[in-house]
Amino acid sequence: MRTIVVGLGNPILSDDSVGIKVAALVKQAIPENAGVDVVEAYAGGLRLMEAIAGYERAIIVDAMKTGLHKPGTVQMLSLESLTKTRNTLCTHDGDLSTALALGSDLGLALPGLVEIMGIEADDVESFSEELSSGVSMALPLAVADILCRCGIFESEYTID
Amino acid sequence: MNRISIDPITRLEGHGKIDIFLNEEGDVANAYFQVPELRGFERFCVGRQAEEMPVITNRICGVCPEAHHMAATKALDALFAADPPPAAKKLRELFYSAFYVTDHTTHFYALGGPDFIMGPDAPPGERNILGVIRKVGLDIGRQVIECRARNHHVIKTVGGRSIHPVAGLPGGWSRPITESERDEIVGIAQKNIDFALFTLQVFEDLVLKNQAYVDLITADTYTHKTYYMGLVDGQNRVNFYDGTVRVVGPDGDERVRYPAKDYASHIAERVEPWTYLKYPYLKDVGWKGFVDGPESGVYAASPLSRLNVSDCMATPRAQEQYELFYETLGSGKVNGRYKPVHYRLATHWARLVELLYAAERMLELANDPEITSPDLRTVPGAVIGCGIGCVEAPRGTLTHHYEADERGVLTRVNMIVGTTNNYAPMTMSIKKAAQQIITKGKVVEEGMLNRIEMAFRLYDPCLSCATHAAVGRMPLSVNIRDLSGEIIRTVSRG
Repeated sequence: MRTIVVGLGNPILSDDSVGIKVAALVKQAIPENAGVDVVEAYAGGLRLMEAIAGYERAIIVDAMKTGLHKPGTVQMLSLESLTKTRNTLCTHDGDLSTALALGSDLGLALPGLVEIMGIEADDVESFSEELSSGVSMALPLAVADILCRCGIFESEYTID
Repeated sequence: MNRISIDPITRLEGHGKIDIFLNEEGDVANAYFQVPELRGFERFCVGRQAEEMPVITNRICGVCPEAHHMAATKALDALFAADPPPAAKKLRELFYSAFYVTDHTTHFYALGGPDFIMGPDAPPGERNILGVIRKVGLDIGRQVIECRARNHHVIKTVGGRSIHPVAGLPGGWSRPITESERDEIVGIAQKNIDFALFTLQVFEDLVLKNQAYVDLITADTYTHKTYYMGLVDGQNRVNFYDGTVRVVGPDGDERVRYPAKDYASHIAERVEPWTYLKYPYLKDVGWKGFVDGPESGVYAASPLSRLNVSDCMATPRAQEQYELFYETLGSGKVNGRYKPVHYRLATHWARLVELLYAAERMLELANDPEITSPDLRTVPGAVIGCGIGCVEAPRGTLTHHYEADERGVLTRVNMIVGTTNNYAPMTMSIKKAAQQIITKGKVVEEGMLNRIEMAFRLYDPCLSCATHAAVGRMPLSVNIRDLSGEIIRTVSRG
């Protein structure tokens, strides 16, 4: 299945960069010809839809700030609950659900499977290229889970 | 409520919060628009090599990275005293024109247009790009997506990378284009012109031929007589990439004109205790509060402002539309210039006139014999200590100001971003809209958020690509407070 992994976030806004950092690590670990592309993106509406068009499957990684979980908590979210992550909306052009519905109306080849991984953030408002400590500890788990989903290695455990 | 400290960039992102204060009679006394603070951008930049700024600042914002890239690059030209060769300037402007086409197109079809095409009272679930496409046809949706795709391709070709460009260098541009790339861009620019004309036709058919919408545009609710700011070229024509800053008064007369590097002599920033935002105003006119008129230093910088400060457009078809714009909205000529249009909702139309200009300008530049020249760099000599760069971002005049030591290491950074210019007028527009909705303590809840949103959406404020919660529209909460400041009602979304 042709898969795209998208790391969403802003690389200079502390924990907001976690999606981009996960994607960078996934990219290093994915063998060539595995049928998996890895990209980073910042805006979540039309641009995100355009980025995943043409793939059969998309895995989107983003910071979320629910305040309900410890920083570093990793969760899989449904498309309907996308609103919980930070970057799936662009105030300039709308949210991913609307963009996907538009793409679908227009007959674009959109992924049949869109999986969203949200990582609870701590600080997303200070300018820094570093993650806070709790969030940085989530990196191995998040990366391993995505590699597992891509079939790069097997594990009994996946994130719900 | 004692929030004063503001870093240069604290005003860029976040979700909107509006506080509406009522007076004793239960009418609107004031409306305040707040944006959460982002901390420490200046500290983040100080100590870095100045040359990093075009790639760092384009990460500030996911909506207009190209504008930050360009303002930063121009600030470096000044900091290193390296005036780029003509071909580099043309290539930069070509790149910038492609960016304008995609940005203005997206705003119209995804954000501004739905208010008109679906109507201001349509349910939020329909008042988006999907609703527009379902109403006006799938083919238009395809054209919007194709327009974005072909111009992103140009941005990537000329700018070196899509979304976050890298080609800007102090004194030049790193990537020449080939003859075959030029030919491709010529074709794209021609398609852009057709698409801009088509979009103006859509606007005419769906908005201008509907008296209810024309009445809405010209209603007092969305009218403010302020100063206007924008860059103009040597012939006082709209220019996005370069020029001098011109400011005209509510009557249209030129109040001041200055090179961008002198901005600090003309612009002051008002700090209010109840918000993080600083409100820029014209220094020599002075701050008189959130009020209209020639005595108040409040100014706007937007597509409407750019048209209002210029004498004409630099391309023929945009000029025809410019004339149609002023004639239709009842502005006569005085001393050869149209008087300003003050109807803020007309900003949506002004944006489309600019869309056509950007497309025509792109074609001119792509056809320029010099555009494929490899002579793209003036090699910098010494660092002169201070560099200020200015462009018209789609949302208004954008100024980057850097200071650096003799090694080129940054010691100070300041920015006035496009949206910041419009904080005071946005606050005024929100207050006026609120006054229509709340009288004698009674709140018209139906469509309230949208009526208020319409008042600031027309400025296309760049508040956030990194909002904390999202339901497809900008997260927004409105608090209505009584005389003592107690919240008596909260309406929110997101």
